[in-house]
Amino acid sequence: MGYLSRSSKTLRQSKFLYHLFFSFPLSSICGGKSLIGGLPHHRFALSRALFCSHARQNSKENNRLELSEYPPELIRNFSIIAHIDHGKSTLADRLLELTGTIKKGHGQPQYLDKLQVERERGITVKAQTATMFYKHNIQDTNYSDGQGPPSFLLNLIDTPGHVDFSYEVSRSLAACQGALLVVDAAQGVQAQTVANFYLAFESNLTIIPVINKIDQPTADPDGVKAQLKSMFDLDPSDALLTSAKTGQGLDQVLPAVIQRIPPPPGKSGSPLRMLLLDSYYDEYKGVICHVAVVDGALRKGDKISAAATGQSYEALDVGIMHPELTPTGILLTGQVGYVVSGMRSTKEARVGDTLFHTRTIIEPLPGFKPAKHMVFSGLYPADGSDFDALNHAIERLTCNDASVSITKESSTALGLGFRCGFLGLLHMDVFHQRLEQEYGAHVISTVPTVPYIFEYSDGSKLQVENPAALPSNPKQRVTACWEPTVMATIIIPSQYVGSVITLCSERRGQQLEYSFIDSQRVFMKYRMPLREIVVDFYNELKSITSGYASFDYEDADYQQSDLVKLDILLNGQPVDAMATIVHNMKAYRVGRELVEKLKKAIDRQMFEISIQAAIGSKVIARETISAMRKNVLAKCYGGDVTRKRKLLEKQKEGKKRMKRVGSVDIPQEAFHELLKVS
Amino acid sequence: MRVHYLHYSRATMLKSTFTPIFCMLVPNPKSSKLSTLPITNTFKNCPPPVRQNASLKDPVSITVAPHLAYPTSAYVHLPFCRKRCHYCDFPIVALGSASTQIEDDPRVSNYVQFLCREIDAMKVECDAKKPLETVFFGGGTPSLVPARLVSKVLEALSLKFGVCEDAEISMEMDPGTFDARKMKEMMGLGVNRVSLGVQAFQEKLLRACGRAHGVEEVYESIGIVKSCGVENWSIDLISSLPHQTNDMWEESLRLAIEAQPTHVSVYDLQIEQGTKFGTLYTPGELPLPSETQSADFYKMASRVLCDADYNHYEISSYCKSGYECKHNFTYWKNKPYYGFGLGSASFVGGLRFSRPKKVNDYMGFVQSLENGLVNCSGNDHINVKDTAMDVVMLSLRTAKGIDLKCFQESFGSSIVSSLLDIYKPYFESGHVVCLDEKRRPIRIEDVTTSSFDENIRERKVAYIRLNDPEGFLLSNELISLAFEVIDSYNFGSPHQEAA
Ligand SMILES: Nc1nc2c(ncn2[C@@H]2O[C@H](COP(=O)(O)OP(=O)(O)OP(=O)(O)O)[C@@H](O)[C@H]2O)c(=O)[nH]1
Ligand SMILES: [Mg+2]
Repeated sequence: MGYLSRSSKTLRQSKFLYHLFFSFPLSSICGGKSLIGGLPHHRFALSRALFCSHARQNSKENNRLELSEYPPELIRNFSIIAHIDHGKSTLADRLLELTGTIKKGHGQPQYLDKLQVERERGITVKAQTATMFYKHNIQDTNYSDGQGPPSFLLNLIDTPGHVDFSYEVSRSLAACQGALLVVDAAQGVQAQTVANFYLAFESNLTIIPVINKIDQPTADPDGVKAQLKSMFDLDPSDALLTSAKTGQGLDQVLPAVIQRIPPPPGKSGSPLRMLLLDSYYDEYKGVICHVAVVDGALRKGDKISAAATGQSYEALDVGIMHPELTPTGILLTGQVGYVVSGMRSTKEARVGDTLFHTRTIIEPLPGFKPAKHMVFSGLYPADGSDFDALNHAIERLTCNDASVSITKESSTALGLGFRCGFLGLLHMDVFHQRLEQEYGAHVISTVPTVPYIFEYSDGSKLQVENPAALPSNPKQRVTACWEPTVMATIIIPSQYVGSVITLCSERRGQQLEYSFIDSQRVFMKYRMPLREIVVDFYNELKSITSGYASFDYEDADYQQSDLVKLDILLNGQPVDAMATIVHNMKAYRVGRELVEKLKKAIDRQMFEISIQAAIGSKVIARETISAMRKNVLAKCYGGDVTRKRKLLEKQKEGKKRMKRVGSVDIPQEAFHELLKVS
Repeated sequence: MRVHYLHYSRATMLKSTFTPIFCMLVPNPKSSKLSTLPITNTFKNCPPPVRQNASLKDPVSITVAPHLAYPTSAYVHLPFCRKRCHYCDFPIVALGSASTQIEDDPRVSNYVQFLCREIDAMKVECDAKKPLETVFFGGGTPSLVPARLVSKVLEALSLKFGVCEDAEISMEMDPGTFDARKMKEMMGLGVNRVSLGVQAFQEKLLRACGRAHGVEEVYESIGIVKSCGVENWSIDLISSLPHQTNDMWEESLRLAIEAQPTHVSVYDLQIEQGTKFGTLYTPGELPLPSETQSADFYKMASRVLCDADYNHYEISSYCKSGYECKHNFTYWKNKPYYGFGLGSASFVGGLRFSRPKKVNDYMGFVQSLENGLVNCSGNDHINVKDTAMDVVMLSLRTAKGIDLKCFQESFGSSIVSSLLDIYKPYFESGHVVCLDEKRRPIRIEDVTTSSFDENIRERKVAYIRLNDPEGFLLSNELISLAFEVIDSYNFGSPHQEAA
């Protein structure tokens, strides 16, 4: 592809083959999506669920599920990619309706967003595949034999827009030859548009620009076309104009897919090679693997092996997502579908692995880089006795979200728990929410941290994913500390430049690039410590730009930094679960803030409680909670022992829910409060 | 020895009323993990028990099983008041100040009739009939009720259970509701202890809490009680009232002492939901005293009254030597008691039962009781955990505290050491005190140098009590700590009695 422009080349500075992009839904125009826990999005208050039986095709269509009728030439695999909220899932709905895959008006909006978190937050978290069939007249072809236009098999993958889940995007793209790059006609190119464009571009995919939401009064399709030209060198005449809301321009989309995107390149005659795209655990069927058949064909009953584990399985059920699991008994070259193989846990199904016919010799597919964990936090059962329940819930959930890393850890304050690595804060939040909603677990999370590296005078190095694990008074002198950084992309209307620059320098950012996208909007690149954007950066950015900024990041190198461990002590005793690692310059402010938050969150107790923040043995902030003087002295009137008993039992229950360090009772809210300190 | 809580009979128990409590429990080595199983008293199959009364021999010892003895105390609720005080959320019936003719108020006589029917309907096996040793008329304002109606109640009680000749018969009386004649009448009926609802000695405060009397009536009523020669009487005071100052509280305490009652009760005002105060005020905020001030009031009462030679024998009770309220002590000792009347609570056969708080519901209840449709006494099912909690809660309210020997014998020694463990920081801080067998305080260093287990075994630590005043002030906190220990304790485990 030779049409990469100068401006887009500057964007390609990143030498990283693998990108983790991060963008937040700063979209304010169509707005309304809540990232962290907010109110349910209006759109799913609507219709009833469309069950698979509704979506199943009639018998005439069932005939079409004879997949052997679809040689690669009649197959197109494409993803829908965009900045968050630009309408990917809604566009997917329309395409599913247009092809009769789901009945119009019967499904809930964003049909493919199936998880409760997705529906509540109005965002896509997991990529979803759906197979559609579509008759299309190839230009200059005459169907004199009376057969009519051929039917195409189209695999659509709807991807998440949020940067935390860009891992899902890159995996999806590996199964595709093309992508619809959706851009909101009013918002134009946003940070995640840039990021996703490059993901697709570097995978050599054909990119079809789709300018969506042209029904909006503020839509400016020409302006967007100009941006696409200047930033990505995409030809303005190639852009499709659509409204996924009104249906305008939708008839253009699938013909463009068929005409512009090449068919999958695999070889039908070669031995079977399948790329394992995703896996999840189904209560009844066991592990279900999503696969893209690169070469050869898979039939039900075939013996298959996994390259990474060497384990063999039988393909018990084979089919496509249409959009629900629909058995076909066969998957041919270029097709995307599912296999049920009797795998017991999703640990056996390594995403990116190659599956092949047992006893054949194949060259494994390149696969994916493993997901990179950006933030770590401790997860503990809210009620200490529920460790087993939490353990079980986490095991089950990681079956459906393999991108979380889990190791057991223990804390004196919180008992037994887990250290979890996440792709980002939203990912962490979604994971917590899914634990609660899907598995009924109640958790306490410790302050998220990024992985630091400490170097000691004896040459040893320590990677720290849990601040508690860093010795407060090390025997060896620390000679250097390293922290991870990110390359941040910020796109803002020009009037906010001043305040955003101030914010970024407060967050220890280093400006690398500053340019105009068009007359009103500025594009900036910053190198920033990951730690600085993990908590609160997005909220700040949003509030100082009235929601107009868009933000994205990809991970970059470690940089040397002046880091210290900040301990929190209650009555002189360090609370391991409250330790943090901060930049020396910020230690005083953060220490003060933590101590003040705790003072508000901890109730008065029978003793005076001192709350201290300390670096090593040096106390940098201190608050005291004076002792409780008296509590209810109610008499047991007329022998009404029961009433008094109930009161005391309630008090006991309250105490039981607290975490005790020494003799200080810490309410769970105290831990939640700490999450809000940046 | 191992203690088994499952089957022990009334017969065994009664025989052993003079022996330590552990003998009441039938050893059974097979018991384990039975903590949730109720204890069943199977006395119905046993020979008629000996009528013997042990409860008065040792008036302050708290034991586990006494609640399975026959009640010898009765609480009688007389709910009538002139009007509702602003802090009150008790089940009362406000008659209104207009009705001067309480003598003939049908609401009162009607109620008393139901009360007598309730007493009458109480099922008591004839062999279980034991004369009452204490009767307590609480309210409401019992002193509003005409003596002839009180007499009916007492008659019903003595018909049903018998009333000991030297029984303590207390009555709550409010200033302005009785004259010397009425006092004499009540005394004639056997009332020998008066609990005078003074509450405060300041006109302003009395009015602010909506009391139906003023300071003048207070002095008048004190005069009546004294001139009528009631030997055993109490002044009830409330601290932490709105607008109450240190000086006012000091004055109230001084004036109360000058009146020379044998007993003083000091209640710390509770702001209850649904009361007038509840809607007007927030605890700790003006015009209510701050938490610190209110704690100071409590401490002042403790200091001033103790200086005047009153014993602080329970969180809110003070008395001259020998004038403890026997009736209230049944509660602190976890002993059984009858309860009659609107909203009253009883504890019979191991069951704590509260009567309906609305007059109509109560009347319906009495009818069902007569028809045998409800049963407000238990069949001696008790749950060890519940009992342990009750014992801890009630005994820690008293100056005597928990008798560890008894407690250990009933609930096991490991729970005692868990209790001592959880209280350890509070021994150090002075909220809780350890006492030896002779009730001498043990210095904390002496307790902690050796392990608690040893201390218990050697009976070095015989009692633990809440310190006066710091421990009493935080009694809820401290008791709920003990609840935590008891709650997480498996009473079934057989190793508990390894000692
Ligand atoms: N006016 C208008 N609104 C649209 C159109 N397409 C989508 N929307 C609305 O835009 C919002 C976001 O749509 P989604 O389809 O969830 O966007 P998405 O790109 O899938 O979002 P993520 O998966 O979270 O990245 C929803 O409220 C849609 O109803 C359109 O063409 N016109
Ligand atoms: Mg979506």
